[in-house]
Amino acid sequence: MVGFELDPCAKCEEVMQPFLDRILDDTERAEAERHLQQCGYCARRYRFEESLRRFVRQAALEPMPPELKQKLAALRTPL
Amino acid sequence: MSETEPRRLAVEARNRVRFEEEALDLSDQVYRVARRLVSSREEAEDLMQETYARAFRSWRSYTPGTNLRAWLLRILTNLNIDRGRRRQRAPDEQPLEEGDYFLYNKLERSVSDGTGDEARVVERLSQDDVVNALSAVPHDFRDVLVLVDLGDFTYQDAAQILDIPIGTVMSRLHRGRRILKRELADKVEG
Repeated sequence: MVGFELDPCAKCEEVMQPFLDRILDDTERAEAERHLQQCGYCARRYRFEESLRRFVRQAALEPMPPELKQKLAALRTPL
Repeated sequence: MSETEPRRLAVEARNRVRFEEEALDLSDQVYRVARRLVSSREEAEDLMQETYARAFRSWRSYTPGTNLRAWLLRILTNLNIDRGRRRQRAPDEQPLEEGDYFLYNKLERSVSDGTGDEARVVERLSQDDVVNALSAVPHDFRDVLVLVDLGDFTYQDAAQILDIPIGTVMSRLHRGRRILKRELADKVEG
């Protein structure tokens, strides 16, 4: 596994999803942030991955039909 | 019946009503996940009704103060798996060497204005592209992807809901996201 000092762009790519998931430790996050400030390509890659996640979330959203909520409420135990 | 029995029953009724109300308040969020775990709206509605019927029957097994949304999703994913989804085709074994770059490169190439505005690059995809690409992700991977990326569950919650180790959650999520991107890339012209 490479580190930021050996191949920063490869390392940045490797940690990009965990970075977006906010599960990196403080050291790795700081290294990734530093690289993203310095590298235009990785910064664009990061913005793309971030926009894609947001876009997928919005596109996949389908509100619950109101009738279904009534049907669920009707399943409650009668008092 | 002892003297305290009516009181006990009253407390239990109150707890049950509170449980049912909290579960119903979460139904929009549960549906959001359910809808993308299955292919059609009808299936999602059936699954929701089965889930809530079971939840209302077994409310006593819920521990108050714990994550009710995760508890409901655990019932829902179990019911979904019990519905015979096991007959699905073999897990996706196609190589995904292109990694995360592939979709990005393809979309970048298809945008000619060269502004480097990544939000606009993503808008080359339509809502249908996303919905169809998600439904093309094999179930084992999609379950994790939907719970974490659409349902905002932590890896730990997803592991408990699906009753799989957290390492499996992480590897399925990783692969599921790549499969999703490959499917999206297939929908981009050029």
